Order: sequence, then structure tokens, then C-alpha cells
Amino acid sequence: MITNEKTFEQSGEINNIIRPPETMMSLAWKRFRRHPGAMVGAIVMIFMILTAVFAPLSPYDPVKSDIKNRFQAPSWEHPFGTDGLGRDLMTRTFYGGRVSMTVGIMVVAITLGIGIPVGTIAGYYGGWIDNILMRIIDATLALPALLFMILLAAILREADLPIVESNSKMTIALVLGVLSWPTVARLVRAVFLTLREMDYIQAAQALGASDLRIILRELLPNGFGPIIVQSTLGLGYAIMEESGLSFLGFGIMPPTPSWGNMLNNAQEHLIQYPWLAIFPGIMIFLTIISVNYIGDGLRDALDPYKVLAEIGE
Amino acid sequence: MNYSNKWLKGLVFGLITLMLIISVVSCAPKPAAEEPAAEEPAAEEPMAEKTSVTILIPDNPAEFHGYGAGTGFEEVISELVMLSVAEVDDQGNYFPELATEIPTVENGGVVMDEETWEVTVTWNLRQDIYWEDGEQVTADDVIFTWDAVQAAEIWSSSGDATESVVKIDDFTFQVNYYYPNPEYIIHFGGEDFPIFAEHYCDADQGYYEWNCTREPLSSGPYTLAEWVTDDHLTFVRNPNYYDAPKPYIDEIILRIVPDESVKRAIMDEGDADVHYWPAENNALVYQEEGNGTKWAVSPTERWIMKIFPNTKARGDTPGEETIPHPILADKSVRHALRMAIDVDTIINDIFLGFGEPVWSEFFRPPFEDSCGIPRPEYDPEGAAALLKEAGWEDTDGDGVNECHGCLNAEEGDLMTMEFMIYAEYGETLELAHQFIAEAWANIGVQTELSIVEGAVLWAQVEDGGIELAGNFDINMWDNGYAGVDPTAYLWDYYYYASDSEWNLANWTGEEAEAVAALVDELYTVDEEYRMEVFCDIALILEEELPAIELFSTLEMFGLSDRIQGVRPTAFDILTWNVADWTVEE
Amino acid sequence: MGTYIVRRLLQAIPMLLIVSIVLFGLVNLAPGGPLSQFSRSRRMTAERAESLKRQFGLDKPVPVQYVVWLVGNDWMKVDTTGDGILDSHGTRKGILRGDFGFSYKTREPVLDEIGERLPNTLYLLGFMMLFTGLIAIPIGIISAVKQYSAFDITATTLSFMGQAIPDFWFGLILILVFYATLNNPFTGEALLPSGGMYTLGAEFSIWDRIKHLILPVTMGLVGWVAWYSRYLRSSMLEVINADYIRTARAKGQNERKVLYKHAFKNALIPVVTLFALDFPYMFTGYIYAELIFSWPGMGRLYYDAATSRNYPVLLGVLIIGAGIVIISNLLADIAYAYLDPRVRYE
Repeated sequence: MITNEKTFEQSGEINNIIRPPETMMSLAWKRFRRHPGAMVGAIVMIFMILTAVFAPLSPYDPVKSDIKNRFQAPSWEHPFGTDGLGRDLMTRTFYGGRVSMTVGIMVVAITLGIGIPVGTIAGYYGGWIDNILMRIIDATLALPALLFMILLAAILREADLPIVESNSKMTIALVLGVLSWPTVARLVRAVFLTLREMDYIQAAQALGASDLRIILRELLPNGFGPIIVQSTLGLGYAIMEESGLSFLGFGIMPPTPSWGNMLNNAQEHLIQYPWLAIFPGIMIFLTIISVNYIGDGLRDALDPYKVLAEIGE
Repeated sequence: MNYSNKWLKGLVFGLITLMLIISVVSCAPKPAAEEPAAEEPAAEEPMAEKTSVTILIPDNPAEFHGYGAGTGFEEVISELVMLSVAEVDDQGNYFPELATEIPTVENGGVVMDEETWEVTVTWNLRQDIYWEDGEQVTADDVIFTWDAVQAAEIWSSSGDATESVVKIDDFTFQVNYYYPNPEYIIHFGGEDFPIFAEHYCDADQGYYEWNCTREPLSSGPYTLAEWVTDDHLTFVRNPNYYDAPKPYIDEIILRIVPDESVKRAIMDEGDADVHYWPAENNALVYQEEGNGTKWAVSPTERWIMKIFPNTKARGDTPGEETIPHPILADKSVRHALRMAIDVDTIINDIFLGFGEPVWSEFFRPPFEDSCGIPRPEYDPEGAAALLKEAGWEDTDGDGVNECHGCLNAEEGDLMTMEFMIYAEYGETLELAHQFIAEAWANIGVQTELSIVEGAVLWAQVEDGGIELAGNFDINMWDNGYAGVDPTAYLWDYYYYASDSEWNLANWTGEEAEAVAALVDELYTVDEEYRMEVFCDIALILEEELPAIELFSTLEMFGLSDRIQGVRPTAFDILTWNVADWTVEE
Repeated sequence: MGTYIVRRLLQAIPMLLIVSIVLFGLVNLAPGGPLSQFSRSRRMTAERAESLKRQFGLDKPVPVQYVVWLVGNDWMKVDTTGDGILDSHGTRKGILRGDFGFSYKTREPVLDEIGERLPNTLYLLGFMMLFTGLIAIPIGIISAVKQYSAFDITATTLSFMGQAIPDFWFGLILILVFYATLNNPFTGEALLPSGGMYTLGAEFSIWDRIKHLILPVTMGLVGWVAWYSRYLRSSMLEVINADYIRTARAKGQNERKVLYKHAFKNALIPVVTLFALDFPYMFTGYIYAELIFSWPGMGRLYYDAATSRNYPVLLGVLIIGAGIVIISNLLADIAYAYLDPRVRYE
């Protein structure tokens, strides 16, 4: 995908209305249920997750070869056909879903793990800390994203670092995550900047509540909506980008299947054995489309203006 | 708010103008690197349809000689425009190109001093060959090119043997060797020694900066008409080519297409005539009748897929006093690893039959019958038994062997290693990689697979080069020697004290020293004795397995049905006889 | 506004400096060196490796290499022969004076290499951006104006689908369908070419150029149009519901005028910003399309440099790319301020 991640701030005003979370949540759920795309997306997504979770129930092994049965067209025995080593493609596709989704979740975790603390510190404390953090964010955003990811992927996969060594999922998640956190950091910072000056926060400070308490109990919950939406969309981007990097030869190491490397391996056989490319392609397609619909639904559902309109304020 | 309306109009207008300018600029015909000669032969001959052949290659060549960057296509284009002194044909026979004949002892061209073993070779050049600008090709050009290569510190075994290269007259030069040089015939030719024009190249720039290596003066059948980087190179007839009416084809186009399946589609559509190095599954299609395609394959199996086991602990560079590899230093383990690999299945099912089993460096002529070494059996049970004997057994049932009285590892250590290949070969090698790993897993050898770029695998130590730094357990890639004489190759890859650092297995010890001593014996002219020595080496290598040969991978070319006369050589340079190619509609 | 721009420009300098240090460090940290492309050949000797290293300046420690790369070494004496004696002035000028070094592969100056490919990338991505605008803007507006209409639902669904297709996969499918399968019914030739910028050896013709553009542009358009139309739709919706539009309506202004004059103009503000943010792609290229459609652009230059560890090219593209990103961000902010009277920077 050539589109890069766009910030949530640009598309919707950050809420500055405080509501007890219970009411918000139940109302949001009501709204979410009424979004047809989001509901369908959620159902498809649940189905995808189920295929990944129950992949081990398959009678076939995702890695073990069966060389006499290579490149079998789809049949009752092998509904998705088999690949170049005779492995059942359906099994591999479902296992690939595990890997791709795990990578996606890891990327989101890295994004949030860096983005939230940085955004919090910048937004809550402001001043020179904010200034420095914002310059770091600017510098990170100044890197040409795909080019930088290619460089990083090339470095990390040979680097002898304790965490990434022999863990290609972690490697690829780092590559994808290292440039995506500024979006979340900016989001959190924006929420905090608006809320920081609110009376009740000032009151809490005056009452001697610790910074940590204010941040965790009063401020963070208010950034919850946009962060959730951003994370959902981030999951989709991560899965898409993993497949893109795989196409360039920097993805998950075989024999572990991922949708990206399956699609990449299918490429040489596109003319003769098209099913190799079709099934992982469809899985990526369905996952991203449902993730995006869910994100859309969540955006609507968690939009404070609409929620407020609903309850008539 | 009116200003923003104008602003927008301006923006749209500006964008469209920008587009137009760009498209006009990039559409404008690119200036040709060299103007095609004005006096086209078509002027005299009856007007015929212009014949054109398109060759698909994946990568932009760097320049017109192969000493710098190695995309593999530098030699392909240099063969189109430049001649060498002598070359090898597809049958492995030497033939003169710029020379009038190959100097031999019989015709007096080669003289050896029986006392000092010094050898003198005299070459006579043809006097009817001209550069495209009309200047004659002379001995000065040969010596100029040789000096430039020497100044650039490019190593060759011929270079080591050479005392001097002396001009006798314009068309005669003499080479003085300290000792017999087995490669004397292709000293100024063969794989990558095109002769450059002295009067055209600026010697002061140094070999690597020569502009003439990007826009060379032609002495060969074609001349470069256009080179659009990363897109295509167009070659047209050299009107001054000495061997008229050759070349038969008017125009040769090298189109650079990175994606393999796209290349296949182009061949299927009949829009190209040569698919350089197709993947095995595509080669299979080209081979079939009725697809409008055929294929060609290099006559000698030069590229051998090999497994390089590191016999020293990871990170120990060659030549240093070192710790043995906990698993691979034991030669029984290396033998067991080989026994567990089902080479036939890999060749037939994964490489689609494109390959022959190989188990010795000396498997092809002039060697007979792999020096009598029998083909190793595929025997997974035997491999497991051998491992057990060597002290590797899985007693806790986790599927991975542990050391129980093995040679070099601690008691209870797991038999787990890294197994690496390079990325550029493509999916076929990746499948073989996974297949072998699985076979090893079945006998309790656990491997973690990795794929890296060639640029990393073969880099210098300082740059984190994995192999030269000894930072690997087991690697698999294809190499081998061109031609008929493996001397230099043996010296590079098996000579334990060699400073070429390519003794990848880090192989040392008595047997390695014995092989080194034998390699030293090879520098003689007594062919019979050399054959004996080669086979002695073969026996030691078979016993020790510093490298595990698996099978030959074929050098293939997909061809269109209409192209005729394409005969790949052992050097993989398809274009060596491009002047003889024809097109039959 | 003027001081704002100056301040932002001044801020960009240390930022670029930091980015350049990070990039230079990373590139040199990368395993696999520029000499590796030579070393599979057995002709590589230790002496020659040393001499090449000296020639490329790789024998110095990384910080020194960085300084030389940045400001050149023509103001100091260097050792060119390897005897340890500083014998002559260096020849590098450094990137600050426009010398990005030379490519290890071709030994051409990096800027020449970039100059050769940049027009091709501008050509491809320029058309892609142009058509993105031409297609996405009407779709976005109609979708927003007729929210929840059949058109809106179709457009939204399609744009969700467009965002979910892996583009390289889509590109290969395009070739399969329009080159390998479909034929022109009149000539029997493939309907569209498989790649390249024009038919080799053919006379220049506009139609030929267009034919070669269709597939690669389509490949990229799908994702971009999907994204831009959705983005425009949501920013349009926001504006439509904004107070001043309601006021305009309340004042009895013609609905069409309200929508197209006030709403569209304001909705376009964030889109223009977005356009500016995507502008760096014009320089860095579109790697997937360039690889699949054999397009000789910047993306492939970079990809080749990355896989062969061609440091100067790698760094040149990265650092110029970073510079363009920074300038684009600045332009986006300026455009924003210029278009939206509510925004004022001190």
C-alpha cells in the first residue's frame, strides 16, 4: 500500500467531553451494532480468528512435506490445493493467519508501548520535554517509511540482537512498529493537552493526587476511543505491510507460513498454479476489509458527539 | 474566500502543466550513447525486414567487463561488442578470435625452458580486425588492457604466473611465465577478458573509472546504440565487423525485467527470444513442445549445489588456531547429514529433473567416474545409526538429539544448528532448503532456517560477511569451476593455509595438510601425473567431507522457437557466438 | 507567516542532521558490505580489498566516514597509497556541497544515477496523483453530499475493498489478465504491454506511452483513490455539518452554491494537506510497481542499492527523501494556514 497511516486527529475532533465510561461503552456498543459494515466485519474477523485458533485441528502438518503431492489443484482432500512441497495449503493458510495476525498484534503492541508513554509525557508535562519529544517524533516522521523499513529489515535479520535473533516475527514486528508509533503519540498528546487544563484535573492536582494516578485514572480513559480505532486500523496496515515486505524478500522466514510469504512464494507460479496466490490473497483481503469496517464502526460508535446526540444532550 | 478558489485553480493548472512538462521531457527520445553508423548495410542489400532479438535479464549490468560488480551480465554484453584473443566454445574447445591460431608446443608457439621451467608463449594477431572507428586492433590494445587489469590489482592465476607481457611487433606479443600456466590459452580471453581500445580509453582514469567500460568502442559484431539504465540496452550491427556478412541479426535488445513471472508471460506472448536463467518450473514449460518455446542448457554442469559445514566454532575466522565446532567437527556427523538427504527426490521433484547427482568435485570430464568413488546412498536409518555411534541420540523424546559421549560437545547439549541459503536463487532453493531441514529433523538434527542476500553471505569479514567471518553452521549454495581444470578452485576452497579465506569449512588438520601438499604438486605440465594427484585429493575429500556435494544445477535458457544457433558454453555466457545467431520465422 | 516559515526552516536543519546521523549509522551497521558484490569472485585478494577500501574511504572509522560524507575531505590530506603517509588532498566535497559520492556498482556519481531515474518516477507517480485527484474528488464529494445513498454505499464499499487489496498482488493479476490473457481483437497482440515505459525500437507515439502507463497507474490508483475518496468524504461531511455552513443555509443561499462553494472548498483543505504529505512518493518512487512493471525508477534504484549494500546510493536516496518529507510537511502546514483563515501561526 502506498498510502501511509493518516492521523486520527485530522479526521475527527478530539473529544473533550467527559462521561462515565460505563454509559459510554454501552452506548458505543449500541451504535456499533447498528453499523452494518462493522457487524459483518466483526463476524468475518471472528471467523478468521477461529480459523487461526483451530488451525491445529487440521489433519495435515503445516510444515511437513509430502513431495509426491506437490502442486495439487484444489480438491475435497485439499480444499485450497497444495504447495511446492505438497503441504496442504488450507492448513498453511490458517497457520499463516496465526503468524500474520500475531505480527499485526505485536506491531500494535509496539506502537502503543512506545506511543502512549511518549504521548502521555509530552502532553501531560509539556514544556521542554514536550519540545524534545516532538522533535524526535518529527525526525521519525521525516524518514521515508518504506525505504527505511527495507533498510531496517535488511539489518535486523542478520543482527545478533538478543530479542530479534531467531525470531522473525519479532524482527518484522519491530521493523513495522518502529515508524508507526508517532501517530499514537501525537494522538495521546493532543488528548492530554486539551484535558490538562480542565477544572477537574486541576482540582485533582490540587487535592494532591499523584501524576501517575491522574494520568491512569482521569486522562488515559479519555483517549481510549481514538486509540482503539487507531490500533484496529494499525492491525490492518501491519498485515498489509508484512505481505509487502515479504514480496520484497524481507518477510517471515520459511517454513513458517505467513500470508505474506505464501503470496510471495506463489508469485513464481502465478501462471501455472494460480490457487497458490488466490487463497492467501483472499485471506489478506478479507482481514483488512473487516478490520477497516470494524475501525469505521468503532470510530462512529466512539464519537462523543454522536453519542451525546443520542442521549439528547 | 475568493483567493482560495484561485489558489485551487492555480494548483490544478500547475499540476497539469508539471505533468505535461515531465511527460514531454521523459518522452523525448534519449540521446544515443553512440550514434548508429550512418552507412547501414541495408543501403546496398535488398530491403529486408529488420530482424531483432530480445533477451530478458533481471538486472542492470554495471559495465562492459566482469571485474567490478558481478550481476553476471557484464560478460554477456561485453561479448556483444568486444573480441578476446582466444575463447572457448560450447564443446570446451579453444578457438582463436583476435589471434590467428592457438599457440601450442607443436606449432612452436609455446616454448618451455627445461632447466628453469619458465615458459614463453607467442601470440600472433589477425591483421584484418578493426575498431568501429576504423583503427586497427593491435598488440598494443592487448597489452594496454592487461596493464590496466594489473594496475587495478585484479588477481588471476595467470597473473601470478606471469613475468611479463612483451610487444614484439604490432601484431605479435609474447608472454613470459615463471612456471607452466595451465590457463595460458584463455589468459587474454575466456570468461571475462575483453580487449579494450588503447586509443579510445583514458588509461589515467584507472580501470574502474574508464568511461570506455560503459561506452566501449566496438571490435565485435555489435555496437551499443542505447542504454537506458534499468530498462534496456539496444545493440546494432557493427558495420566494421571483420567477419561479414555476420552478424545475421540486425539488432539485439537486452530488456531488464526483474519479475520472474512477468518474464515468463513475455516469453509466452512471443515478445522476447531469450529468458536468461529461468526458474525450473518455467524451464519445464519452455522445454515442452508446442508452446512456441524451446530451451538450451550449458553443456558442462558447472554449478554444484553444495552444503558447507563449518568445522570450527561459530565466529572463528579461517586460519586461526581455533575451537572445533561442537557438532560438525566430527566427520561422522557430516557423513550422516549427507546420508539423510534424498538427492534424487530433490532433483526430480523440486528441481523438476533439472540436475544430476554429484558427490565429488571430480565428477565431470576429464575425470572419469568420479575417480572411482561410489555414489553415497540415501539411507536415513543408516544416518541415524551413524549419529548414535558418534554420540548423538534423542533419549528424552523431544525429537532433538542430545550429546551422549559425542566428540566435541558437552554432555546433554542439543543437536541444533543454523542452516542458511541465499535469497537470490529463488523459490526452488527455498523448497530444497526446507526439504533437507525436514529430513535432518527426522534423524534428530534440528536446524533453524535462514535466508540472506548474497551480499551479506559473501561479504568481507569487516562488513559482517557471514561466511568469511565463520559466523555460520551450515550453508548451502552453488559454486564450482569453469572449464576443465580445477586447480585454482581447489587452491581457493580447500587449501587450508590459503589467504584467499575461502576454505569455508575452516578445514584444518593432517588431511587438510595432505590435500594442500597435493595441490602444490599440481603445478606441472605432466597431465597424467596431475590426473593421479587429482584423484588422490578426491579420495581424501570424500573421506573428510569439508563440503558436501549434492547435485548440479543447470544453467538454463528459455528460447523462442524462431531463434537459431544459440549454444551456451560452460562459462554461461550465451552471447559468445551471437554473430552466428539467426532468426527463422 | 514569514517568520514562521523561517523558523520552521531553521528547525529543519538540526532535524535533518539528526536523521542523517541515524541513517548513516544504521547503514554502516548493516551487515554485508559494499565490497561483497566483488567477493564471490575468487579474484578478490586481501590487497585489492584494502585498496578498494582506501579508494572508497571505508578504511576510516565510521564517525570519520560520516564527516567526510557530510563535508568532504578536499580540505584535508589523505593517504591514497596505503603507506600511512598523508600524500594528497581528498577529492570528496561532501553532501553539503552536493557531492553524494559515487555508486559502488557503476562508479557513476550518485546524483547522476538519481537524475537518470527521477524523471521516470515523476512521470509515473505524477499521472497517478493526477488521476487520483480526478477520480477521488468527485467520488468523495458525491458520497458526502448524498450520504447513505446507493452511490455512497457502493463507493464506500469499493473503497474499503480497494484499501484491502495487496497492491503487488493486484499488479501481477493485471499483467496476467491484460497482457497474458486478453488480446486486442483487431491486431491479435496483447491488449496492454507487460511493462517498460514505451515499446522498444518503435517510433514515438502518445498512444504507445499511454498504453504503457495504464497498468502501473491502475495498480497504484486503486489504493490511492480508495483512500483519498474516503478521506474527502469524511472531511466534507464534517464541513457540511459545521456551523457556518448551516448559517449559510439558514441565510437562504442556494443549496448547490453552499455545497460546492463553501463546503467543498473547506473540505479540500485537509485533502491538499494530505496531498502534500504524499508528495515525497514522487521522489522515493513506487517500488512494487517498478519491480513488477520493469519501470526504471527511483524505487528500483533504492531496492537494488539495499540488496547489494551500495551505501552511497542508499544514503543519497534516503537523505534526499528525508529532506523532501520535511519540506513537504512544511508546505502542508503553510498550505493549511493559507487556506484556512482560522489557523494562524505566530
